[in-house]
Amino acid sequence: MKSRLITRRHTISLASGVAATALFGAHTARSADKSVTVGINLSLTGADAESAKRIEDGAIMAFDEANATGGINGYKIVVTPYDDGSATAGQYDPAQAATNARKMVSNKATVAAIGPQMSGAGKAMAPILSEGNLAIITPSSTNPDITDPKFAAQYRPEGKAIYFRTVATDAFQGPYMANYYADVLHVKTVYILDDSGAYGVGLADAFQGQAEKKGIKILGRDRLDPKAADYTAVLTKIKSLNPDAIYYGGVLQAGVKLAKQAYDIVPKMIKGGGDGVQGPEMLTAVGYPANEGWYATVASPHVTEDAKMADWVKTYKAKFNVDPDDYAVTAYDAATVILAALKQVTSNGKEPTRDAVRDAIQAVKVNTLQGPVSFDANGDLQDKTISVFQIKQDKSIPADDMRQYHYIGIAPSA
Amino acid sequence: MSFSDLLLQQTINGLSLGAMYALLALGFTLVYGILELINFAHFNVFMVGSFIGMWTLQLMGINGQSIVMTGLPLIGTMLIALIVTMVLSGALGVLIERVSLRPLRDVKGPAAMITTIGVSYVLFNIILLTVGADSKNYPNPLPPVQWDIGDAVLRLREVLIWVIAVLLMLGLHFFVQRSKMGKAMRATAQDPEAARMMGVEVDRVIVIAFFLGSALAGAGGLIFGLYYNFTSFIIGFTAGLRAFTAAVLGGIGNVPGAMLGGVIIGLIEAMGGQFIATAWTDVIIFSILVLVLVFRPAGLLGRVAPNKS
Repeated sequence: MKSRLITRRHTISLASGVAATALFGAHTARSADKSVTVGINLSLTGADAESAKRIEDGAIMAFDEANATGGINGYKIVVTPYDDGSATAGQYDPAQAATNARKMVSNKATVAAIGPQMSGAGKAMAPILSEGNLAIITPSSTNPDITDPKFAAQYRPEGKAIYFRTVATDAFQGPYMANYYADVLHVKTVYILDDSGAYGVGLADAFQGQAEKKGIKILGRDRLDPKAADYTAVLTKIKSLNPDAIYYGGVLQAGVKLAKQAYDIVPKMIKGGGDGVQGPEMLTAVGYPANEGWYATVASPHVTEDAKMADWVKTYKAKFNVDPDDYAVTAYDAATVILAALKQVTSNGKEPTRDAVRDAIQAVKVNTLQGPVSFDANGDLQDKTISVFQIKQDKSIPADDMRQYHYIGIAPSA
Repeated sequence: MSFSDLLLQQTINGLSLGAMYALLALGFTLVYGILELINFAHFNVFMVGSFIGMWTLQLMGINGQSIVMTGLPLIGTMLIALIVTMVLSGALGVLIERVSLRPLRDVKGPAAMITTIGVSYVLFNIILLTVGADSKNYPNPLPPVQWDIGDAVLRLREVLIWVIAVLLMLGLHFFVQRSKMGKAMRATAQDPEAARMMGVEVDRVIVIAFFLGSALAGAGGLIFGLYYNFTSFIIGFTAGLRAFTAAVLGGIGNVPGAMLGGVIIGLIEAMGGQFIATAWTDVIIFSILVLVLVFRPAGLLGRVAPNKS
């Protein structure tokens, strides 16, 4: 780290203008003598901005707490935020995510990263981060392909796992919800929709596979264009087929319109989705009564309502003036993992290089808010939990309070 | 649901979509007819119009769908919202013409068209940065009245869309065909220079065309919000592109052609979603567009433009 100025001189001829700016920015932001930079990449512009903010806050909270107690063995943590959302896309933009990954890699001070929020962004970032040997921990992107060894050549060409998660994946979120549909809701027939995104298609596929195994009849499968406004055609078709339930794999850009129009056309049908339909817009933009009864899952244990979490929730709310959701918790946990890895590396007096930090993250065994966290060889969580929620209007709390999502329990794993 | 009911329901869905596309397509056609300019800013005038309508309704104390009105108050509220939205959207169109297009009037080539793309992005980003990216719950005082026809459902808001759209289109048609200004517009469309020599104030004609086109887009935006109970900064793109396709399909520059094109595109979208798959909507729409243009380059109702200077 001491030789960083020299390194910079060497790399500046190689780095593009943009990367050089990022590099320079990181240096001016450095206040303590010793510091390491952690990049945070989220979709801060567009439809997922509200959840992005909660996630960012969760991570920043953990780093602030570490810095307030003098950092990790004398190293201060500098956070560099990146935004992969773009106005043109209206949500995450894979091209922007790739650009951000290159910026992170070319900033030599960056030893680890948190994010991305969305799987589509993760697919764009993973190969670049693999080449830069930069470990990233996602608190919320749940598409299984990125960590699936089947696709290792695509998403980790350098071999080692660099994409870690403090959430479970859609390989569990979709199938466990299919179990819930079959065993708890006694659904016999279903119509499946997705929103054409990496996350949505993968989730819907995973749901479909398990639903077929469970003997649920798939009456149809269609794809929504998230930029289009009108889904009445496909919903009318669904009405005519009259399935017991709809399952939607996707996020809220299409989800808001789907929920509103589904309420008009098939109000009584069981409707559900993954963590993509678990967001504030479901409450503000869809609103009661159109959102009533929707099921959503979250790919992590639901702990924000735990009694022993009350202090943490209070601190979070006081600091950021907003209620934390479960992915604020997984983001805090991701930061906790990085801090534990840094501590492990620096306690031995070693330089916190990317390589050392990655290896320490891979080997980590740490107690976090959601419970003990450790990773398998692909970067996935060892313990996977899928929580099920349902929106039920509770007049005693504000209509846009996330507690309108009532926690029902854990989805069956088989 | 029987097959005939299904067909009827999808026709209702398609006609509602078509009415919206037609209102938007008219704006493209009006401006193109006179300036031979494809005005891409129109996409987002529609989007801004939808927000103006939302704010107007909110100023009148309507939030979400909880307040339901009937009778005269409903008609009054709707009329006020419609008029305010149309006037302000029209004014926005005039402003765009004045600030960004008039200085380029005599510049040859695609400069003006590219400018409209720029203006479109400016509008888009202004809304994104001021009101945010999240979808908005649209204020809607319409009572949830509906009629069952077999298993098909016809809602009050669908009837309302058709009535408003047809009235506006008829109004425009008569304005263009019967009024003095309409005559001046048609003259300018045919030959601006000759029209100028005959004493037509061409600048004024252009301003009126922008005003009318943008006002119709604003009305379309308000109707969009009331129909879907939602709006967001991103709605202009898909709706605008399909409406533009409708204008080309019907014959760009031709007012009845825009209406016909809008209805056709709306019906294709509904029937395609039913019988093929929603995922294929764009493929179907644009394939039909290509086919029509191959065999009728001027569009369904368009004629090959008379000698233009």
